[in-house]
Amino acid sequence: MKAARFDYHRPADLTAALTGLGAAGGKPLSGGQSLGPMLNLRLARPAALVDVGRLAELRRVEERADGVLYGAAITHAEIEDGAVPDPTGGILPAIASGIAYRAVRNRGTMGGSLAHADPAADWPTTLAALGAIIHLTALTGPRESRVPDLIRGAFDTTLEEGEIISGIFVPRLSPDARWGYRKSCRKVGEFAEAMAAVLIDPPRNIARLVIGATETRHLVLEGRDIEDSAVLDAALAGIGIAADPARARLFRAVVADALSAAQTSHVSA
Amino acid sequence: MSAPNGVLNGADSVADHPAAGSPSTRGVGAPVRRKEDARLLEGRGRFIGDMRFPGQLEAAFYRSPIAHGRIRAIHIPDHLRGRAFTHADMAGPAGGGVKDILARTGLPGFRVSAQPALAAEKVRFAGEPVVMVLAESRAEAEDLVEEIEVVFEELPANHDILGAVAPGAALIHEDWPENVFLVSQAERNFEASRAMLDAAPVKVTRTVRTARQCMAPLEGKGCIALFERHVEQLTLWTSTQMPHIVRSGLAECLGLEERRIRVVAPDVGGGFGWKGLLQPEEVCCAWAALRLDRPVKWLEDRREHLIAAANCREHHYVMTAWADAQGRILGLDARAHVDAGAYSVYPFSACLEGAQVVSNLPGPYDIPAYRCTALSVCSNKPPIVPYRGVARTGVCTAIEFMVEAVARAAGLDPVEVRLRNLVRPEQMPFRSITGKDFDMGDYPESLRRAREMIGEAAVRARQKASEAKGETARETDARRIGLGYAVYCEQGAHGTSVYHGWGIPMVPGFEQCGARMTPDGTLEIRVGNQSHGQSMETTLAQIACEILGLDPERVNVVHGDTALTPYSTGTWGSRSAVMAGGAVASACEAMAERLKGIGAHLLQAPRDAVRIEAAQVVGPQGSVSFREIAHTFYRAPQNLPADADPGGLDLVAGYRPTVDTGTFSYASHAAVVAVTPATGEVEILDYVIVEDGGVLINPMVVDGQIYGGTAQGIGTALYEEMTYDANGQPLASTFADYLLPGAGEMPPVRIAHMQTPSPNTRFGQKGIGEGGAIAPPAAIGNAINDALAGLGVEVTTCPMTPRRLREALAGAGSAP
Amino acid sequence: MSLVNLTVNGRAISANIEPRQHLGDFLRENLLLTATHLGCEHGVCGACTVLIDGAPARSCIAFPAALEGARITTLEGLADDPVAAELREAFTVEHGLQCGFCTPGMLMMARDIVLRRPGAGEEAIRHELAGNLCRCTGYVGIVRAVESVAARHAGAAPVVTRGTEVAPSAFVSPLTLPVAGTLVSKQAQDAVTPKAAPAASADISFETLHNPVRMTQHFEVPAPLGEVWNVFQQPEKVVACLPGARLTAPTDGRSFEAEMGVKLGPMAATFRGAGTIMADEATLSGIIRGQGVDGRSASRVRAELTYRLAPLQDGSATAVAVEIAYELKGPLAQMSRGTIARDLAGRLTEIFAANLAAALTGVPAASKPAALDGGALFLAMLKGFFLRLFRRG
Repeated sequence: MKAARFDYHRPADLTAALTGLGAAGGKPLSGGQSLGPMLNLRLARPAALVDVGRLAELRRVEERADGVLYGAAITHAEIEDGAVPDPTGGILPAIASGIAYRAVRNRGTMGGSLAHADPAADWPTTLAALGAIIHLTALTGPRESRVPDLIRGAFDTTLEEGEIISGIFVPRLSPDARWGYRKSCRKVGEFAEAMAAVLIDPPRNIARLVIGATETRHLVLEGRDIEDSAVLDAALAGIGIAADPARARLFRAVVADALSAAQTSHVSA
Repeated sequence: MSAPNGVLNGADSVADHPAAGSPSTRGVGAPVRRKEDARLLEGRGRFIGDMRFPGQLEAAFYRSPIAHGRIRAIHIPDHLRGRAFTHADMAGPAGGGVKDILARTGLPGFRVSAQPALAAEKVRFAGEPVVMVLAESRAEAEDLVEEIEVVFEELPANHDILGAVAPGAALIHEDWPENVFLVSQAERNFEASRAMLDAAPVKVTRTVRTARQCMAPLEGKGCIALFERHVEQLTLWTSTQMPHIVRSGLAECLGLEERRIRVVAPDVGGGFGWKGLLQPEEVCCAWAALRLDRPVKWLEDRREHLIAAANCREHHYVMTAWADAQGRILGLDARAHVDAGAYSVYPFSACLEGAQVVSNLPGPYDIPAYRCTALSVCSNKPPIVPYRGVARTGVCTAIEFMVEAVARAAGLDPVEVRLRNLVRPEQMPFRSITGKDFDMGDYPESLRRAREMIGEAAVRARQKASEAKGETARETDARRIGLGYAVYCEQGAHGTSVYHGWGIPMVPGFEQCGARMTPDGTLEIRVGNQSHGQSMETTLAQIACEILGLDPERVNVVHGDTALTPYSTGTWGSRSAVMAGGAVASACEAMAERLKGIGAHLLQAPRDAVRIEAAQVVGPQGSVSFREIAHTFYRAPQNLPADADPGGLDLVAGYRPTVDTGTFSYASHAAVVAVTPATGEVEILDYVIVEDGGVLINPMVVDGQIYGGTAQGIGTALYEEMTYDANGQPLASTFADYLLPGAGEMPPVRIAHMQTPSPNTRFGQKGIGEGGAIAPPAAIGNAINDALAGLGVEVTTCPMTPRRLREALAGAGSAP
Repeated sequence: MSLVNLTVNGRAISANIEPRQHLGDFLRENLLLTATHLGCEHGVCGACTVLIDGAPARSCIAFPAALEGARITTLEGLADDPVAAELREAFTVEHGLQCGFCTPGMLMMARDIVLRRPGAGEEAIRHELAGNLCRCTGYVGIVRAVESVAARHAGAAPVVTRGTEVAPSAFVSPLTLPVAGTLVSKQAQDAVTPKAAPAASADISFETLHNPVRMTQHFEVPAPLGEVWNVFQQPEKVVACLPGARLTAPTDGRSFEAEMGVKLGPMAATFRGAGTIMADEATLSGIIRGQGVDGRSASRVRAELTYRLAPLQDGSATAVAVEIAYELKGPLAQMSRGTIARDLAGRLTEIFAANLAAALTGVPAASKPAALDGGALFLAMLKGFFLRLFRRG
């Protein structure tokens, strides 16, 4: 189980990285915690890896009044440890601490997780619920995207060839925002079989439910829909889950738990 | 504590020992710290992957991507000539005519499957090796494998245990009339009891299924073969549990005399059965090393292990039990299928599991009428290999689910039902309905103690509270509590009388130990089995200490090397503590006589007036140390008597238990679980084991074996499953797909020991290595079903995953 | 080859390393530091855990080429680390190891737990150890050992090991230090010659599928039946509608050779092979068969697309019913999250339908058939066409 050959480049800056990615077959490498296994299994066979994990632009953190912009290469462990500011009153560190294992969190990055777009990963669901804005950069210029627009399916993003995630802006929550998060995993640290995140932030007029681990795109419900079981059922039907009663049962339970948690748990922002 | 053959019954020791290392003695019964730990804790163990030889080549295999098909053509690019090899290369005249691996049995009706080291005309499971490629590194070998093309004519794959024997199933071995290795049967008093059974007030029928599993030792299999020119010997370094058996099998395949082969196992990173066979890759590497005169290494990677070595545990039962109104089981009828995979493995064969199903299904229960048929089914999956517990894990699950079903149908307490059916102590020794000779023990007492330890009354109260909550609260908030039990007995250290009837390539008989006192008075003991986590470097040294009073630190246990040790069938079947332990005792006793002979002379005392004590020969006046005796024999022989034994201080002695039908350790397990009906999630809240392993040579080590086995049993119960699609494709190739229990999944486990010495073994010890893995699926499954009983759900398929529970609950109409 | 400078157990190492060689192999094979064990090589089991810049990390999925300047510590390098020494003692007292294979990784992780979470209790320790698998001990002795050492450190200031320095051993034994410089990787060979096209058509026979996954889809095409029928008789047009697919040889209209690239995230496969087209104009139906092999993984796919056309209303549109049946075999099939493949198939199908409609109406499809980035994997394709499975229609 050894990787196929690839070339490795570590560009000095973002522009060089984007240029390098333009070369045929270049793939960005950030923390490598998802890509590494796929390389060893020879499921991923890039001609070259372009290391963006240490680019200054992707390692920056900017705190603003309305939120925090994280460079894409900020690691799960840095968030877990509170080494970077947190505009969510503890949500981000709590989520980070539940990702895989510490040895993985020490190297895995938030941007890498989004780009990998595993529907069962924690960040896509969490960041979609928090209303994060994803900063994308290409030689042709920057753009911004919301998670549900970025991830269109399992392992499938709207990232263009040569475009990378450079940063993630997480809006600051109101002091009385409420949050609920629930994932069902068969084991600690393993893939979730279903997950749901709920953010209720009345001053910002947000009531949002995001359902992940669907093995396809995320489901996002807003406003009154989040408590409407008919809407939920229709949404599950729309991605084929309703046809599998045992699976739908789990999603309904996970959603109910997340909603229930959001009734009571105030974030402390 | 020295352990006489007296009765220690009732002398419990709870698992929570005081820290090991300060026992009053260092012999049998002491929780001596392990001698093997120091090197392993410093990262200085030596595993196959740590070894390399000059000029070494590494092997990678083109493995069949399909489960069943005919090989039409193999295209190997010209530049790979000389480093890519096929069956034709090995089996043809130029290759020396390597023979297929043949594991026959003497059982009537057994169908022989020949397993070529590399697939010949057909491939019979996905992952079967087809072409071996050698290169300077594994990575390069894998690169080269990608250049090979094999053209197949695909055939329908038999992925399902029942489908493989359905009419019209594609034949895997085409000269067979059906995909069945063997039909095993037993009928005891069943037909004669028919009328009585028909009139019984309780009759229950259940279907029970256990999944195909993968043993997954943390270290994969691996080997390095090289030709040692100076001794003209092929040496196979391999991560095996049974070096001597591998040597015999390899010699048969390669057509070599056994003296031309040496098999050595270095540190081995766990086995559990997977390393108890002759493997095709070992044959390939050995052949290539001989042919090329270069060391050839192969390390099984995790993907290979999961795909090509998912090879154990898969059973299917349909059972009916009859009972009277008091829950006394009157009869049991079963039809079982064991998915034995594509080939019969060397040496255990494809039928061990199926035959054990027939002989072990009644378990520890005294069942008066019994009928069972077990089919060892041939399928397009990797060949079945006995995994820790062997058939008994499935069997225990099956019978314990039935006992519970009887209790439910009769409206009785399941513990009471068990107590009414278990073999009672006054019946011991007891010959079971299938002819198993239970040696000793109090099975009902272990169950009563387990019930007490788990705190049944408190659990029942908690259960009631959880059910009340479930009726009022939203179901997602409510976890339901369940309590389950299982009892088993575990035959270990099976001897000749058990195995000769199988007629497989290996029959255990006598076990030998070589003992050699070195010139400085320390001791080497040499055994032919292999320790790969069982702590034998410590426990066998404790036995030497028990006999000779020599501190275990001054005893070296040499194992796992055919050149250095007496023949042994190896480490399997919970046999080493009994067999190797007995042999070590015999050899040390013989050594004691030799020491006493010289010592008496040096002490100028009559021989019958001296004794061994604390590494000395002690006479009526004074004593002489082993060191001095050894020095005298080797380096100052002028001081020996004229009639000194020329055999000196180097000897081999043998052992066989007085009765060789095996020891029967036993245990009762009790589990408390919480099940969330909405999600199917299960948490084990408490787990109790009351077990009787006879005299415990090292209680710390025994507990370690039980804990480890229990974790594997929990894997069987809740997590581990190799699924296949309809084309026989295995659907788990990583540990993200095939889930092993982690630290977070292990409940607190509490162990209590009963110590009823075996009357048949040297110290009263019994084999205990496998037991922990036997009962958890039954205990946990019964607890889950107890938790869900109010919802009309009973799950009898392992593993009992959240998805399976949700399917059952959804099927039962449970909201949401 | 990349020239990489690392510090390993306190010793500076410069080596030319193949980028694909992972850190675990580099330590073991090149530096002869074999305490670090490889148990899965895909980042799950934890046996290969080492410290990278002080923090535990999986050496099997870290690549030295990407670790320029990093400080690596293996178990050998903790020979006289005081916490490691406490842990070793506790592991032996509590019987925290049997075969010993997982032990180095366990100790690496345990040391981090003790430092980062002094005083951690059993539950926290179990959670923190979740990424280190042991198959022998049931974790009982391991958890007790870590708990006992963590308890001794209770009240100490937490040391976040992320990015911290690990002092090199004071007593330097030969086992502690890597064998420096003597065993750097040899020059990588030239890339292997590209594989010739599969021995192809001659070897291919179209057998019945044994146990295919079947999916059906219905869609309408705003074109008259005759036009649609004609498209289905032209392999080059059908193939052109499939994302990532192309013909690899001129077709005679009855059989064809093609390849299809499928990508899913970082995974990619290219199935090359051949197919045939059969049609029955009387029933307005036909069947396209194909099979292909991804040469590198030896994965193979066989598929059949059965289509049936019906005129709609005034004849200006055509109803298309498609059934896809496929079998995927080999490494790309051997994973548990099969619904992802179906999701991919569904998206490929949608694009296929859109492209088909576009081809028939002359209006460009909304999304162009670039090789469906994002998607690839498993399923794939075959030679020619589409296979894709749709989700239930």
